[in-house]
Amino acid sequence: MTYEVTIEPTGDVIEVEEGQTILDAALRQGVWLPFACGHGTCATCKCQVVEGDVEIGNASPFALMDMEREEGKILACCAIPESDLVIEADIDVDPDFAGYPVQDYRATVREIRDLSPTIKGIVFDLDGEMAFQAGQYINLQLPGVEGSRAFSLANKPSDNTRMELHVRLVPGGAGTTYLHEQLNVGDTIDASGPYGQFFTRKSDTKDVIFIAGGSGLSSPQAMILEMIEEGDQRQIYLFQGARNVAELYNRELFEELASTHENFHYIPALNAPEPGDDWQGFTGFVHDAANSYFDGRFDGHKAYLCGPPPMIDAAITTLMQGRLFERDIHMERFYTAADGGEESTRSALFKRI
Amino acid sequence: MNKNKVTTMAAKKLSLKEKYSLLTRDLDWEFSYQDRKDAFPMEEFEGIKITDWSKWEDPFRLTMDAYWKYQAEKEKKLYAILDAFAQNNGHLNVSDPRYVNAIKLFLTGISPQEYQAHQGFAHIGRQYGGVGARIACQMQSIDELRHVQTQVHAMSQFNKYFDGFQSWSNMQDRVWYLSVPTSFFHDARSAGPFEFLVAIGFSFEYVLTNLLFVPFMSGAAYNGDMATVTFGFSAQSDEARHMTLGLEVIKFLLEQHEDNVPIVQKWIDKWFWRGTRLLTLVGMMMDYMLPNKVMSWKEAWEVYFEEAGGALFKDLARYGITMPKYAALVEKEKEHISHQAWWTFYTHGHATGFHTWIPTDEELDWLSEKYPETFDKYYRPRWEMAKKLEAEGKRFYTKALPQLCTTCQIPMLFTEMDDPTQIAYRDTVYNGDRYHFCSDGCKDIFHDEPEKYVQSWLPVHQILQGNCGGPGVEQVLSDYYHFNVGADNMDMKGSPDEKRWKQWKGVA
Repeated sequence: MTYEVTIEPTGDVIEVEEGQTILDAALRQGVWLPFACGHGTCATCKCQVVEGDVEIGNASPFALMDMEREEGKILACCAIPESDLVIEADIDVDPDFAGYPVQDYRATVREIRDLSPTIKGIVFDLDGEMAFQAGQYINLQLPGVEGSRAFSLANKPSDNTRMELHVRLVPGGAGTTYLHEQLNVGDTIDASGPYGQFFTRKSDTKDVIFIAGGSGLSSPQAMILEMIEEGDQRQIYLFQGARNVAELYNRELFEELASTHENFHYIPALNAPEPGDDWQGFTGFVHDAANSYFDGRFDGHKAYLCGPPPMIDAAITTLMQGRLFERDIHMERFYTAADGGEESTRSALFKRI
Repeated sequence: MNKNKVTTMAAKKLSLKEKYSLLTRDLDWEFSYQDRKDAFPMEEFEGIKITDWSKWEDPFRLTMDAYWKYQAEKEKKLYAILDAFAQNNGHLNVSDPRYVNAIKLFLTGISPQEYQAHQGFAHIGRQYGGVGARIACQMQSIDELRHVQTQVHAMSQFNKYFDGFQSWSNMQDRVWYLSVPTSFFHDARSAGPFEFLVAIGFSFEYVLTNLLFVPFMSGAAYNGDMATVTFGFSAQSDEARHMTLGLEVIKFLLEQHEDNVPIVQKWIDKWFWRGTRLLTLVGMMMDYMLPNKVMSWKEAWEVYFEEAGGALFKDLARYGITMPKYAALVEKEKEHISHQAWWTFYTHGHATGFHTWIPTDEELDWLSEKYPETFDKYYRPRWEMAKKLEAEGKRFYTKALPQLCTTCQIPMLFTEMDDPTQIAYRDTVYNGDRYHFCSDGCKDIFHDEPEKYVQSWLPVHQILQGNCGGPGVEQVLSDYYHFNVGADNMDMKGSPDEKRWKQWKGVA
């Protein structure tokens, strides 16, 4: 039995297992809540329940006082849901977050294309218009697959009746296996969205760095296409990481953009080029490509990272050592079934990274 | 998006963050005829570079009226429990009268430091150019004052029935082992404003505070002391603000300028080392002074530093900060320091303001089990020897005054870690005088600021120089420390505390 907990004001939704605390579930699902002690004595994680029933757990009477209990306050580190919940946490809403409503769609497959040996591009037609921000994702309900699967939208928001997804085949992954092996043009799938806090901060004026790995090119692609469509004059740098030339997909698209737009710069990096690739570009990991390009200094930029967790972690370290910090780093981690295993204690130093 | 939604957004109430920001930012003003540097004269001399105070993210968002409301509620609850504790003779419910000695150590060793924290935060709350930091420090300063008051009130119940509580405020900067925590705070308070915040706000409150509070609070709960449990919870509920302030300051300094990184690293190295040395007293309390044990010092260190601190330093590595210098040494020391400290207090038990004792046989077995690598090999034989001497009526007290480390002021009781039978001695000559240290860590700290530490007020030196009364130790204890000699000190066995307890419990 799991409960769905909606966290306002961001609208993030998490699944909480029977007996699991809200904080534990949130942190494991990449949703940051303020916290410190983790055992009910310090009150950093105090939240307001807006809807639903919750067991308060071992909250200290000094950290969560009687008057607060009566007002429906809880400590996320000890509170255990007893129904679906809506809670309000002391977190900031980004001024660039549009808050488009999540809606359900019927999505019909229009095209399936091999982008690389492991990644397929799938384009769907939607049965209605979807308002979303470039960078956000949707959830798919796939036949015979338990739970939903999240994929970032690769099309720009002005194409609002379609969705383009980049799907890498995850060995043993039920969802991606279905999409790669069973899905056909003309099939219809249930989708809902948009979701997520990964989107272009349009109010920010700094030059923009995108670092993408594998099928994590999808969000940056949508964001870059939109920026260029809107005539954005900032310098835009795209670092795309792949193993070899065959995996470096949509290269022609970005080379073309780079040749026609002076403010767009495309820097692909291959970490294991094949002998036959005749690779003249950067050889190494994509974060090293960025580090070498900017000579280890990133301050004054805004960075968007999208890809598998190890790539994101390496990129964050590189950016921070180059003096770009949390407020200017935004990311979308592509977790797969293979990433669920490792457990680690988190410090409260960073909110999102 | 429909019209309704837009209207709602426009009429939206200010968020907590916005309210707090208005409260704090509006308290600042432009300096039209004075140089800001003259207004905040301490902001630069430590070498810290602040380029933009507006990047300070207020770590907590509490307005003053909400602050008073919350704190008043906490006080009401706490004092109701303290009253009930007093009316129900709560002191009779503790597990064993030996437990009360842990509380004596807390009152004399820790509570006065809460007061120093109050003074320190009040001082630095004046020194920052950024108003957000000034307000955060002001609130923490008031919190710390509340902590010392509630602790003193909570423990006053024990003062009615047990020896050793009567002169804590006099003792705290005079008694030989109490100069350890006192000098720790003196060191921080006489540093610049940023070092103080890294020392107390970050290194102590954030990195090490769980190692102080969890053992004491759980220890109190395991030993039937509801008064201490309650003030512990009451104080911990303020710690949220303190911990987030500690974290914010470290992020802020590291992000403001790259030249701050090596300075902050040096402070982390220093205060981590000083903090772990100070926590020796807590380790000894956990392993020896609690009749009902919570967990061993070694286990506490593993959970609260190695695991939680490991995650923190992994994240800090992104700023170029490395694990504190000597963290690897401290990992070895967790096997030893509590035993070495309690042995020192036991053998100096005539000069301590609380009672000491030989662990019971069950406790010795517990220690053997918790410290399989070291206890039977190095420490149990000493206690077996002490038991034998005691049985022969020759309870051992050393005649000598201990030699103290110039930096941490702890007696030279720690050993080399690769040879736990050899006391570690380090020394250096500065301006023709020789100074002694318990460790490389303490020696490094001295070397970085020798002019500061040559001024250390070392209790044993002061006794020997005749500045603490005397000539004999007994006069120092009674006239200078205000001990009730013969009641406050010496072994638990045969003490007035023990006699009264037996009377209350009707045991012969």
